[in-house]
Amino acid sequence: MTVAEEQQLDAMFSALSDPTRRAIVVRLALGDATVNELAEPFKLSLPGVSKHLKVLERSGLISRGRQAQFRPCHLELQALNVAADWIEENRRLWSERFDKLDQHLRTLQEPLNGDPNE
Amino acid sequence: MNENTLRFTRTFEAPRQLVFGCMIDPEHLTHFWGPIGVTTPLKTITVDARVGGAFTTVMVNDGDGSTYPTSARYLEVNPPERLSWIEDHSGMTVTITFTELGTRRTQVDIVQTHVPAPMMDPAAQAGFLTSLDRFDTYLAERTGANR
Repeated sequence: MTVAEEQQLDAMFSALSDPTRRAIVVRLALGDATVNELAEPFKLSLPGVSKHLKVLERSGLISRGRQAQFRPCHLELQALNVAADWIEENRRLWSERFDKLDQHLRTLQEPLNGDPNE
Repeated sequence: MNENTLRFTRTFEAPRQLVFGCMIDPEHLTHFWGPIGVTTPLKTITVDARVGGAFTTVMVNDGDGSTYPTSARYLEVNPPERLSWIEDHSGMTVTITFTELGTRRTQVDIVQTHVPAPMMDPAAQAGFLTSLDRFDTYLAERTGANR
């Protein structure tokens, strides 16, 4: 993982540390939405929602449309995948490490086949 | 335990003392620390197995020679039951519990917590480990309550 990817991951974890922002991500998973549409279910002020959206946008989790008037918010699934990939990679690391440890322990305990040190 | 952790469990056919020993001895670690296709040369492994002591490795990709240095500090060294460290760079903690299931059988449980460097706060670990389904439930409850 590059430094840039790690920084993005940190920003995403940080952005998702807030329950409202997590809920916004869920809403956007269903489809793009405008600030008004996002503010309504949470009874949040528009500036309040905008603040959350800025954090999400900086983390790369969402993007905003160019149309000045509505600027619909869009969930960047690719960004979510970075986090999912990290978890999967980590799981694989330990799995393969354990496979090797298992083999190593067998070798240690089978003096006839293996390591004369043990 | 909260949901913001990664867990791994494996049972090994070996005495607990030996399994624990493998985790803090460079001579053993070099045999298994790297995943498939990755080697951890003995000379790159530093283990100072005491609280605050360093645990560093350099994993080397067998294919292209690229290196992945890791650097951590031990938080707990309690042979042969528990071992814990925190990675300097990521702030991730790894806690390993060794449970004796028999004289030659040991269960190893790993609990890994990713604490993003800028947010050393348990709440910050939330997010991706929670499924979108659960987000959805949360959203449904929240919007339901407000309508």
